[in-house]
Amino acid sequence: MSIKRRQVLSGSAAGAVSLATGLASPAIAASEPIRIGFLPALTGASSSTGVAMNRGTILAVDEINAAGGVDGRKLELIVRDTQSDPTKAVNGVAELIHRQKVHVIWGPLNSGEALAATPLIARESMPQVHPCWVDTLIDVKKYPYAFRNAPSNQQIGVAANHYVVDVLKHKKVAVVSDTTGYGTASVEAYVPMLKEKGATVVYQGNVDAANPDLKPELLRMRDGGAEAIMPWSVNAGFLARICNTRGQMGWDVPIVGQTTLGSGQTKALLEKPEYWNKVYSNNFRNCCYGSNGKLPPRAAAFVEHLQKTKVEMGDTLLWWIACGYDAPHMIAETVKAAGSGPKDIVGYWNKLKAWPGIYGDITWTPEQHNGFPDDEVVMCEVNSFRDGAFNLAPGYGS
Amino acid sequence: MLESIVSYGLAVGAVYALIGITYNVMFSASRVFSFTAGMLGMLGGVLGALFITRLGLPVALGLIATVACGAIIGVITEFVAVRPVLKNLEQHLYVLSTLAFALLVQQFTAIEWGTDAQPFPRLFQIEDSLVDQKFWLPVVACVATIVGLEILYRHTLVGRAFLAISEDNYAARALGLPEQRLRIASFALAGVIGTLAGFTGGEVLLAFFGNQSILNFYGFVPVALGGMGSNRGAVVGGFALGLFQQAANFLVGGVFAAVAVFVVFIIILLARPEGLAGAVSARRV
Repeated sequence: MSIKRRQVLSGSAAGAVSLATGLASPAIAASEPIRIGFLPALTGASSSTGVAMNRGTILAVDEINAAGGVDGRKLELIVRDTQSDPTKAVNGVAELIHRQKVHVIWGPLNSGEALAATPLIARESMPQVHPCWVDTLIDVKKYPYAFRNAPSNQQIGVAANHYVVDVLKHKKVAVVSDTTGYGTASVEAYVPMLKEKGATVVYQGNVDAANPDLKPELLRMRDGGAEAIMPWSVNAGFLARICNTRGQMGWDVPIVGQTTLGSGQTKALLEKPEYWNKVYSNNFRNCCYGSNGKLPPRAAAFVEHLQKTKVEMGDTLLWWIACGYDAPHMIAETVKAAGSGPKDIVGYWNKLKAWPGIYGDITWTPEQHNGFPDDEVVMCEVNSFRDGAFNLAPGYGS
Repeated sequence: MLESIVSYGLAVGAVYALIGITYNVMFSASRVFSFTAGMLGMLGGVLGALFITRLGLPVALGLIATVACGAIIGVITEFVAVRPVLKNLEQHLYVLSTLAFALLVQQFTAIEWGTDAQPFPRLFQIEDSLVDQKFWLPVVACVATIVGLEILYRHTLVGRAFLAISEDNYAARALGLPEQRLRIASFALAGVIGTLAGFTGGEVLLAFFGNQSILNFYGFVPVALGGMGSNRGAVVGGFALGLFQQAANFLVGGVFAAVAVFVVFIIILLARPEGLAGAVSARRV
């Protein structure tokens, strides 16, 4: 068999290309973008959180890239809208890991979706940071690559229960949620905690969030002698209906619970502005106005920054935007310090100590992947809403 | 408690009844069970809030604009999702085509309008009387619709033509009735009734894209209970469903209320598959 000149030339060319590719691969790795798989719910019934966090995340990524990225590597945000649907979150995870080859996953941002997606992310040994509150989402044995940059349900419950029982001095409590994964898990977690504190749970229920009339449920609460209502849902329509029904009944008990109670979407659905009185929601000390009427310095500077960059705050919550803003900054800092391999990222996070976010100071250890400090979880007065933030609730740590 | 059961039960029951009538009007003209009825109800709320709250139209104009949009969407449904599958009715392809069209419109609404429930305006700026307007508005709309349909069907030539094609489509065509145009008119009429349901029920159900699936299902129940094609049966079934659902809310509460509704629905269908007001039709041989 004779070898033609064209074959020799083409063989040499192929060899040269493969040699060049081989030699260049470390250089490509060093300059390839840092791919962040982002799983917000931008549409669907539980999208209010995702829409707000998305604003903060995009702002942070744009800023980091405008400043030259991480040692010359740009952040590439690959967004998959979960549509508030756990199935779509799982599909998004599979695509982000296998097709997009992301380095790290930020999200999902709702617990219902995270409950479905986290086991899959863990199986692929993919570093994951999420802000979802359901306790079981963090387990260093089952999910050693999953980290939480927000409080757990336990911390939220402790703060809310403390406010009702110890500050407001109410012992008879009604605990209600919608029928989502987050809602039902919250009720199951908080009721035993309330009982441990010596409170009596006179009503406990999960209600379809689409139910237009909540009066039967509130009548049950009132007949049971409830002195406070604790709703756990991220559905603004459901929470507004609770506030409206309480107002229509002329019932004066406080409503103490989930942060969405204070969102702009909830406010828009109130039949009368006064139905927002005596409503206290979870919030975070770094994102609340203190007794001097001012935000802590870090958050105040952030709000000024948001105003300059024209990020909308009036229809959402400051802490949502802040939490969304912190995550890419933390990821960028991690890659800069440790590299973008899964073990590099997780190794760095396992030693993270009081990382100063706008939202909160995050600390992780190999044994504890819940990073939010207990004392930064507080309650706020929802009718004091301005620029996405609130006053600390009366009598609460101001 | 009784007052709340009656007021809320009749209000949501009226909305369900109107959606049931929407199903019936489309079914009578085409023999197609179009799953766009819930979509029309959802659009009634969203478009009403859009025209009145966002665009600042007066209530009367907002209502006219809403039902006009409903009529147009009804006609589009006939062209896009019904006409192409009429030749293969026995294959039930309309289930897919109408459901797909409804989901398409719902997703478009979600993108353009948003996925959070939004407020629906108070239609009359009057002091709350004995019964709030949000409770009596859907009931008045339901009564007006059923009376209007009775007059249309019994006392006008066009109405009788509607009845003729619903009785026997082939015979009506043989008599020279313009079956296709009557079908288009029926879908336009269904669009008006469906959006009217969402518009008058907007103060209870809010302007929310997620209402589509609820109305699709709960609007279907009165049709199944009352007998397919029977508007009177749909009204009775709708009010019965609303009252029962609200009573179940009070008596068992929470998620069990929905379970109670489904259980009764299944029991009734097992006992009378043709519906409470329906008659068993003889098979032609």
